[in-house]
Amino acid sequence: MNGWMGKIIQIDLGSNRQQALPVTPETLRRFLGGRGLGVKLYTDLCPDPLDPFAAENALIFMTGPLTGTVMTSGRYQVVSRSPLTGTICDSSSGGSFGAVLKSAGLDGLVIRGRADHPVYLFINDGGIEVRDAADLWGLNTQQTQKAIHERTPAKTSVACIGPAGENRVPFAAIMNDRDRAAGRGGMGAIMGSKNLKAVAASGNRAVVIADPEAYQAMNARLDRAVDKNPVTGKSLQVLGTPVLVNVINAHGMFPTRNFRSGVFNDAEGISGEKIAETLLQRQSACYKCPIGCGRTTKTRNRQGEGPEYETVWAFGAQLGISDLTAIAEANYACNELGLDTITMGSTIGCAMELHEAGALGEKMLWGDANRLVGWVQDTACRRGFGAELGLGSRRLAAKYGRPELAMQVKGMEIPAYDPRGAQGMALSYATSNRGGCHMRGYMIMPEILGHPVFLDRFSTAGKPEIVALFQDIAAVVDSAILCRFLQFAMGISTFSEMLRAVTGLDFSDEELLTAGRRIYTLERLFNNRAGFMRADDTLPPRFFQEEFQTGSSRHRRVRLEEMLDAYYAVRGWDAQGAPSAATLAELGL
Amino acid sequence: MAGTVTVRFYALLRRQLKTAAIEVEADGGSLLELLTRAEELAGQGFLDELLDPGNELLTGTIILVNGENVRLKDYLNTRVRAGDTVDLFSPAGGG
Repeated sequence: MNGWMGKIIQIDLGSNRQQALPVTPETLRRFLGGRGLGVKLYTDLCPDPLDPFAAENALIFMTGPLTGTVMTSGRYQVVSRSPLTGTICDSSSGGSFGAVLKSAGLDGLVIRGRADHPVYLFINDGGIEVRDAADLWGLNTQQTQKAIHERTPAKTSVACIGPAGENRVPFAAIMNDRDRAAGRGGMGAIMGSKNLKAVAASGNRAVVIADPEAYQAMNARLDRAVDKNPVTGKSLQVLGTPVLVNVINAHGMFPTRNFRSGVFNDAEGISGEKIAETLLQRQSACYKCPIGCGRTTKTRNRQGEGPEYETVWAFGAQLGISDLTAIAEANYACNELGLDTITMGSTIGCAMELHEAGALGEKMLWGDANRLVGWVQDTACRRGFGAELGLGSRRLAAKYGRPELAMQVKGMEIPAYDPRGAQGMALSYATSNRGGCHMRGYMIMPEILGHPVFLDRFSTAGKPEIVALFQDIAAVVDSAILCRFLQFAMGISTFSEMLRAVTGLDFSDEELLTAGRRIYTLERLFNNRAGFMRADDTLPPRFFQEEFQTGSSRHRRVRLEEMLDAYYAVRGWDAQGAPSAATLAELGL
Repeated sequence: MAGTVTVRFYALLRRQLKTAAIEVEADGGSLLELLTRAEELAGQGFLDELLDPGNELLTGTIILVNGENVRLKDYLNTRVRAGDTVDLFSPAGGG
């Protein structure tokens, strides 16, 4: 087989029984791999929504047909039902783990059951070994990776959890290649619930390329395209993702103090430009990545990777903190303990507003940089007030009687773009299948950054169609699997060209977009079964009722009602947000 | 009475020019005229980071006049006046 390895293994950690899961060539073509095939497998295995921590729940690690081949193909996706949201969830991570897992012979690994003691999996040359991890339990993610590297062959790659995952914090991340995170949605907590500390992979199997000549020529051409593009060839390399701090702040939509302002007065001090002058040691890159947006950084006392744009915001403007050292060290702590920085920061900000509003006695003060790392540590270990921060913002705000103060959609915290500043992004957040996430349909690209075309951010016209298109393309990229940043330099026609060269199948752009729509719709079907309908496709009331008084997004509100019906119509969903029978038939679902 | 326009540089432009902002005398003319004068004041060319050889905005270039994107105004013909602020972002991205 070209592209795919032709092997997906299911292992039950309760019985240690392993079995191959057969997947037909037609299914591969219709769902590709990664997120798409992972969601297909998940919804076949667990059609009725389970408690995410139930032993029988499936946790699925997926590679894609492009994994281990073209540029940026080291990524992997993890699919399950999120303990944070209750929706279907997939979480993506870079580094090299995906490529190494595939070189071990697997397209995917389905994990079910619960081990009766801590274990890790060692996958080598297609075989899976369950190994004791009793002495690894309690170690942080970097200690865990180091310890497993000492027990495995050179070039083994490790995806693992830290204390947060062990303690089932519902926004615990899976960490690999030191500081790469499958961050959002709490996939690390599901590993913890299975007593699974890590998955380690090693192998030498090559991916078979259908058309090596076309493949080589294409790669050379795409290298030049990435190099020539000012975003992928320059900006991301030199300034990394935090270059967006000043961009978004200048647009008056940099969420500040729990989304109560769109302008952070100290933005310059935490900007990508400032990080490049202060903390930055060098850039770093994932497997076969010509971009290299990663930041290796250092404070006076600590070193690590990041912070990325989202993290600068979550521990910075969201909390009224302008101390770059504190932000970086809170980021290092999240990486080590295995926590999603966006949910962590947003939940702390929610607690600060709850305290200010008199609803929460715990003294949580805006701008309190000194306690930041302590809050992160307490959350991972579920001690003191950290046990409450570990609920995530939705449950925390509900517990203290002010649910509207949680800046979340379907339980997932909204990231660093205030939706009042970009109507398409607002619709994308509201309809995202995993909740308040920018990655399902990144409308900031056209609405702020002007890629591939510039759209008026305050207009709702045409946005339903474009949001659906962006969501479908994202589903393709997450299933192939590639890095989203390639989209600054290339589009769907390049992705179909890559898939043709690698798999030998005659994928057209249209077939891929249909696959994206099929994947999105399948996710939606699961969410419908889990109880998510039209009423859940919304945003916190703040975005409909309150306006900023300053900045260039002032006097704006989200106008979701102008877009939602049209979006459902584009999607072929009914008025309640359920896919129609005709849509299901058209997509073969 | 004559005044100035504040021109602020971000992203790679700032690293290239080694300055965050300059004041440019305003004459009520177009943005392109103002930026051409800003280039002279900055002591080095930077417009090729923002514009193509035909003086069209490059994909990804963001120019804000008082916080508003000039693509929603009159592009490079947008009028700039004393007291205005012009923000210049060479193409940038993240996520």
